[in-house]
Amino acid sequence: MPPIIRVENLKKIYRIGNEKVKALNGINLEIERGEFVCIVGASGSGKSTLLNQLAGLEKPSKGNVYIGKSNISQMTEKQLALFRQKYLGFIFQSYNLLPALTAAENVALPLMFKGINKKTRLAAAKVQLEKIGLGERLGHKPTEMSGGQQQRVGIARAFVAKPKVIFADEPTGNLDSKTTDQVLQMMMQLAREENITFVMVTHERDLAAYADRIITIKDGQVLSDVKTQNHPTAQREQDNTIHTEEKKEQ
Amino acid sequence: MKTFDLMRLCLDNLSRRKGRTILTVIGVVVGTCFIVLMISLGVAMDISQQQMLESMGDLSTIRVYNYSNTDAVPKLNDEMIAKIKAIPHVTVSSPVYQPQNLQAMLVGGKKDRYQMYLGGWGITAMYPEALDAMGLTLQSGEFLTAEEKNAKTIKVMFGQNAAYQFSDSRSKRNNYRDPYPDQYGNILDPFLDVYKDKIQLKTQKNGDNDKQLVYDLEITGVFVEDWAKADFTGYGVFMDISTAKRLESEYMKAAGIKQTETEKNKGYTQAYVKVDSIDKVTEVEQQIKDLGYETSSMESWRESMQESAKTVQIILGTIGAVALLVAAINIINTMTMAIYERTKEIGVMKVLGCELGQIRKMFLIEAGVIGFIGGFLGVGFSYFTSWLINAFGPMLMGSSEGGMLGSVMGGLGQGGTISVIPPWLAILGLTFATLVGVLSGIMPANRAMRISALEAIRQQ
Repeated sequence: MPPIIRVENLKKIYRIGNEKVKALNGINLEIERGEFVCIVGASGSGKSTLLNQLAGLEKPSKGNVYIGKSNISQMTEKQLALFRQKYLGFIFQSYNLLPALTAAENVALPLMFKGINKKTRLAAAKVQLEKIGLGERLGHKPTEMSGGQQQRVGIARAFVAKPKVIFADEPTGNLDSKTTDQVLQMMMQLAREENITFVMVTHERDLAAYADRIITIKDGQVLSDVKTQNHPTAQREQDNTIHTEEKKEQ
Repeated sequence: MKTFDLMRLCLDNLSRRKGRTILTVIGVVVGTCFIVLMISLGVAMDISQQQMLESMGDLSTIRVYNYSNTDAVPKLNDEMIAKIKAIPHVTVSSPVYQPQNLQAMLVGGKKDRYQMYLGGWGITAMYPEALDAMGLTLQSGEFLTAEEKNAKTIKVMFGQNAAYQFSDSRSKRNNYRDPYPDQYGNILDPFLDVYKDKIQLKTQKNGDNDKQLVYDLEITGVFVEDWAKADFTGYGVFMDISTAKRLESEYMKAAGIKQTETEKNKGYTQAYVKVDSIDKVTEVEQQIKDLGYETSSMESWRESMQESAKTVQIILGTIGAVALLVAAINIINTMTMAIYERTKEIGVMKVLGCELGQIRKMFLIEAGVIGFIGGFLGVGFSYFTSWLINAFGPMLMGSSEGGMLGSVMGGLGQGGTISVIPPWLAILGLTFATLVGVLSGIMPANRAMRISALEAIRQQ
């Protein structure tokens, strides 16, 4: 089966004054359908930049990102918006719920953009919220909920439209350790159920233990790419991946 | 995204920042109100001018003159009158003929005691069928019709006060009756009753050998005096044009007056033309002028008055437009502020797959809604203010005559309405305000569309 995400020699260079900062310096990656991938690295390593490139939020300076068969690096803003609407989901560190809308309305938002009528989308939102245990909070505004609850609404919002890939940028960064556990479990379980590819960025290495695969970024390059024992193919391939990846780079 | 959802989102957003929305709407209300009121003053001015002109004369009539004796101008004969009648929009075309050669008097009473001298000018003759279309009204009787009973009885119509021209030939003093109150406040009747008393037309004898022609008059009706429409409705005597011509030629034959060839062939000197609508007067008048005749109508007057009214209207409208411009800037400001406030929200929407066009639409609709609400309230408020001005304005003007208000309103009718808002103005005001709203929204909307999703969601 072809990979769902393919990254080719990706470079991102920022200009700060007269200085050029290479945030990403030639990254090659392939992510399989249904993988739960964790991108880790120290602050400033370029991991968030990588996620932004993968999700098409930022244009790379060089190289290409393919999702499915589409080269999203060549898309216009307009095409990207439509592509995100159809195939991608997002979870943010600061939840980014719309304050004026209730939990259910927030979850239904991606469906609204797709043009699904109110009744249908609110019903879908209700199902999704019940799945993550917020069935009683449908009518609550974000300000009336705790951080963990807000992030669960954010998760429901990412999953409601059944996207192909979900990107999460430090989704537990603002949560305490107990809630972090809950949220991570929930994301993994939902992704597995729906066979959704999940790409998450975090700077806490121990969180990565949940993932199928851990990609470590340093100075804008892939330092290591490890499949954990959680990985569906882990039994067969063991630690070979890292060697093949290194070969490719050379 | 469905249009309904978009609308709901917009209204939600507007109601979320009520205070600012209300202030912005007030700006539009003031602007709309200003522009509508200013134009309403101009409209009222137009109307009162129209009324003034109408009181001066029938606006849809054209007078045609031909006093020239050259061959360059075609004769104004019956054929030509028919040709003018055939011009589109002409409803009436009739010669106006005054038998100048006819010397006669109207007599009545015992031994012709009461007499009215009729120079050639006292009689006005036209096609009888023109009377009704001219819009004349009758005080009594009915309009004259074409048929004549016999050669010795002629049908005529009297102007309202024509009968007051009979004088008493027996009395040296008080030999006239007036149509207005006398020293005791009574209006006396004329010496003769036009319907009951026998009235005859007798031609004048210039020499002893002349034969005096005598005709019996049958007065079919009396006009209501209306100088604006026709001057013979006052003191004139009206008859069919063929009758007038016959009388004249019979008299000339009897009196031995010879007409020169040129006089015989001259044709009419005047004609009356009526057009079906005021707007067509200029067009028809020009066509008649092209035939070579002199013309006159109220149109040239109306045009120059309208021209000056238009100038005033433009000045007033511009003042209003400035007010609305300020309101537009206000909307731009509000919407721009809204973008800054909602940058993050817009970013999130973009990341979640809201199409760019929808974000743009959302801002345009919000701005348009501000314009619409402002326009709606503004028009409503204009009606109220207009009523206030009409109710209390004249008092203000009366007390400060020659003051600023007085001079601005100078062209307006005395004591008439100062401000008139016709339905088209209300619709125009509302449309204009909405349009200003949407146009003001374009710049902020484009800006919102261009916001980088990444920058936006990073913003805390």
